[in-house]
Amino acid sequence: MSRPLLHSIALAGIITVTCTSHALAHCFVGARFLPATLATDDPCVADELSLPTVAWSKTGDFPPASELDISGEISKRITENFGVSIGQNWTSIRQADGTLTQGFSNFETTFQYQVLKDREHELAILAGLIVDWGRTGSTGSGLATNYSLVTPTLYFGKGFGDLPSDFSWFRAFAVTGQVGYQIPTTSFDFTQNAFVPQQLVYGASLQYSMPYLKSEIVDLGLPDFINHLIPIVEMSLTTPVANNFGNPYTTTGTVNPGVIWVGSYFQIGLEAMIPINRDSGTGVGVLGQLHLYLDDMFPSTIGQPLFGGTSSTRKLTF
Amino acid sequence: MRILTLATTLFFAFVTADAARAHAFLDHAEPRVGSKVTTAPTEVALFFSQNLEGAFSSIEVSDANGARVDQGKAKISASTMRVGVKPLPPGTYKVRWQVLSKDTHATEGNFSFTVGP
Repeated sequence: MSRPLLHSIALAGIITVTCTSHALAHCFVGARFLPATLATDDPCVADELSLPTVAWSKTGDFPPASELDISGEISKRITENFGVSIGQNWTSIRQADGTLTQGFSNFETTFQYQVLKDREHELAILAGLIVDWGRTGSTGSGLATNYSLVTPTLYFGKGFGDLPSDFSWFRAFAVTGQVGYQIPTTSFDFTQNAFVPQQLVYGASLQYSMPYLKSEIVDLGLPDFINHLIPIVEMSLTTPVANNFGNPYTTTGTVNPGVIWVGSYFQIGLEAMIPINRDSGTGVGVLGQLHLYLDDMFPSTIGQPLFGGTSSTRKLTF
Repeated sequence: MRILTLATTLFFAFVTADAARAHAFLDHAEPRVGSKVTTAPTEVALFFSQNLEGAFSSIEVSDANGARVDQGKAKISASTMRVGVKPLPPGTYKVRWQVLSKDTHATEGNFSFTVGP
């Protein structure tokens, strides 16, 4: 296998981790709605479908290859606070010489438990376990591995609506983030003749909610389309931290400025993908996603947890 | 490209299948969220994006000291919730609301408005 192709496949793996492992929660915490983010995950379990997520970028190879990723993921609450997501990613890499490599990444599942939702402080914390199952993708093309990846991950989200009213418009800001430790089920890949590193997989988002500004702080009478927008900057990074003998411990990833339009039943997100260094890619890529709120579309059927009834009919406090 | 086709199909199937239910977002309010009004309102009205379940929706208006200034139970009609308020002297007032949409999704929020010259 050529070095550029290996490089491309490694980057495809990074993009797969950062784009498809991220679940799709319809996330309300008090008055705050945290949208499903594209490159990182939001801190809630929910019943949702992200289909498709499409990413296009150029790899860090010399010369760079063109890469297209198309993925889908569905999230389902098993109980009120426990959910499972399953996802799959298809990748196409075209080298500068026209060589084309296509195939599926390994099948991915994510188990998530809602640890905390503090409505007053707009704070949510979620614990998760991401598993990429080995030998479930296109191992022959090199786009999937023979081994599995297990990534315990902690997610958080915090809105700033609890700040004093003196902060005014600043209260529409929110941050989300996640930190995971990725552990491969093997330490050495004999097909690649390389060590398989353990990695820190982490990211964050800074978002400004125009819906929150309008309904909680000040209604400026802006056009309806503007009032549904959430400008956002995401950052998604991966750093090898162990078992990386002979390779540099270089952090790779992207910073993604973009915007999410939020409707009643779905949201649409579009972001630019700016690589943080040459190893992370060449030039600016594009990431887009259509995300469906199954709990709003089918509130009495698949939009409910499988066990434990509905979360929505909670006792109101006044 | 099959995924794109599937996504498009699912999207339109889902939206047309059950497109009358969702979380109720606050669309606008009178007095307007964050506004300053020179004439004291006699009621606060909230207009939502979905129809409401009256038995589980409520609104509370309080002054800067936290004292209730609303006149009790809200009147709910379709997607609108109204509550009368006592005569309001100049000052800042806080509106807290919780609603249940017809499909049993709960949402909540709060905002302020000011009465003054």
